[in-house]
Amino acid sequence: MKKNLLTIIVSVVLALVFVMILFVFQVRQSEVAVVTRFGQPVRDVTTPGAYFRLPPGIESVYKLDQRIQNFEDTFNETYTADGNNLLASVYVGWRISDAKAFFPKFKNGSVKEAERNLKDIVTQAKAAVVGKHPLGDFVNANAQDLKFDAIEAEIKALVQAQVAANNSGIRIEYLGVKRLGLPESVTESVFALMTADRKKLADQLSEEGNSAARKIKASADREAQLLISTAEGEARRIKGEGDAVAAAVYPVFQQNPELDKFLRELEALEASLKERSILIFDSRTTPFNLLNNTLPNKSSK
Amino acid sequence: MSNEPKTPPPGQPIDPGAQALADALHSSFGIVKFVMAVLFVVFLFSGFFTVGPREKAIKLRFGKPVGEGDKVLLGSGAHWAWPYPIDEVIKIPITEVQEVRSRSHWFMQTAVQEAAGEVPPTGPSLNPALDGYALTADRNIIHAKASVRYRIEDPVRCVFDFSSGADQAYGLTGISNAVLNALDNALVYAAARARLDDVLREKTAFQDAVQRRVVQLVLEQKLGITVEQCLVETRNPRQLDMAFKNVTDAGQRARAALTEASSYQNKKMNEAEGEAAARVNAAQAERSDMVAKIEGDAAIFKKVLPYYLADPQLFVQQELNKVLGRAIAGVDYKMYLPTTPDGKPMELRLNLNREPMKIGGAKPAN
Repeated sequence: MKKNLLTIIVSVVLALVFVMILFVFQVRQSEVAVVTRFGQPVRDVTTPGAYFRLPPGIESVYKLDQRIQNFEDTFNETYTADGNNLLASVYVGWRISDAKAFFPKFKNGSVKEAERNLKDIVTQAKAAVVGKHPLGDFVNANAQDLKFDAIEAEIKALVQAQVAANNSGIRIEYLGVKRLGLPESVTESVFALMTADRKKLADQLSEEGNSAARKIKASADREAQLLISTAEGEARRIKGEGDAVAAAVYPVFQQNPELDKFLRELEALEASLKERSILIFDSRTTPFNLLNNTLPNKSSK
Repeated sequence: MSNEPKTPPPGQPIDPGAQALADALHSSFGIVKFVMAVLFVVFLFSGFFTVGPREKAIKLRFGKPVGEGDKVLLGSGAHWAWPYPIDEVIKIPITEVQEVRSRSHWFMQTAVQEAAGEVPPTGPSLNPALDGYALTADRNIIHAKASVRYRIEDPVRCVFDFSSGADQAYGLTGISNAVLNALDNALVYAAARARLDDVLREKTAFQDAVQRRVVQLVLEQKLGITVEQCLVETRNPRQLDMAFKNVTDAGQRARAALTEASSYQNKKMNEAEGEAAARVNAAQAERSDMVAKIEGDAAIFKKVLPYYLADPQLFVQQELNKVLGRAIAGVDYKMYLPTTPDGKPMELRLNLNREPMKIGGAKPAN
């Protein structure tokens, strides 16, 4: 009996595995499944889990990648509203939103085929939107005038409208500009302009530097002169104070101006004989007049 | 119902051939049972798996991730899951911090050249198929490359919402591509709003602008990551290296002129301050001398006045003699002219140069 029970259990397990293989399929978190019956899509499964199906031959299950697909369109030339040649490429994040519509639209739900189709739509939408905007809407130092986000939104809306009109079962999750550029020949012209700008800037820097240096020097000269003039004024004031003090003493000398005059002359005389002086006396000068009385007189011999 | 060979009832003769067959079948069934038991054990233990140090694992049960938030990620170590088709284990090479690098706006440069810091030779223009660049707000051209370091915040979103390419493989390629696209967009956007000189001079501000845009796109597109750091490197087109160098040189010359002027200013002001202080000090000294002298003179005047008034003639003679005495003693060269025999003073004729000869100076050459 025990041996029979084991046999039964093994048989049931094997039967269950067989039934699961035939009648159950699994959908993962990232997938969406399309169930076809005799080749015609009859339902799709978008949430993960295990699901019942009829055996192969009656129903087939196709699993599609439901995740966001990233792709970048061609970096090609378009024209802005003001006639500028502009190279632009955008990136797109898209995903399958309606597997039943997507599956028959592109051969067995081929993502690559869907991207080829989407790329054409994106290129057309990009050209249409770029053609409506001047170059200043793409690059502008004034944030108010820059229409970058609006342009991206316009392209995205146009692409979304087109895939909806085609009933592609696709939803555009996001779209953004990946590169902006200019045709090769235009880059050469831009370099010529940039070179001229740099030369102008170099000249301006030199002139500004020299001008500022001259201003600093002139200012230094002026301030230095002002400083010395102020000091000179202060010096004169100080000397004036000395003169005032001296003037206060003058009444002393007014007691006898003759004595004062004599003392000052005496002082001047002494000062004048202090250095590098040659003094020539004759016999009448005091005290050499004394010599007249002591030296022998030749005429008297 | 049993597959085991039947044993004959007791009393019946046993066919040796049948007995041998029964023994052989019995042994075979034993082997089959053993193999089944081993397979069952292997089946049970096949649920064990290990996660390496630089990877994480996500367990799917009937296709749905087990756990929520961070708990969905299984760290390094041993884990167990039901065998397929109940559970399925996905291993992802997630490091603590992920990084993407953008070179879409940089000129063509091989990895070797980049590592060596070499800049390839240039032509007169940029080929859009080879050389990347960005347009600035003043319609100039600039090269920029950037990297973003980010952390996975929502692993389920990152792994199960962004395709990693063909064969529906799981990984982080999809989210990396999405972040890279956001970074490229941020470079275009930030350059389109900034002037060339702002991009080159205010590098930090430009880098911040790029990072802000990346963060904005990460939130808008719900990428499930957190941006840790964004680094941006910019440079002028190689074709304009000389023109930019000239500007740099001009700037340096301007700075040198300013430095020289500043030095001149300092020197001039220091000299002026010294001169001013000297003049004020001299005036103060002169004032002090003058006041002291006049006061001294007054004191002397008061002292000698009585003597003068008593006998002016005598006073004058005495004072004069005292001064002459001191003066004559100090004079270097004295000449006395005696009286001539006729009683007149001797005549002395002097031939004076414009510059009187220094007493005791160099003698004129013969």
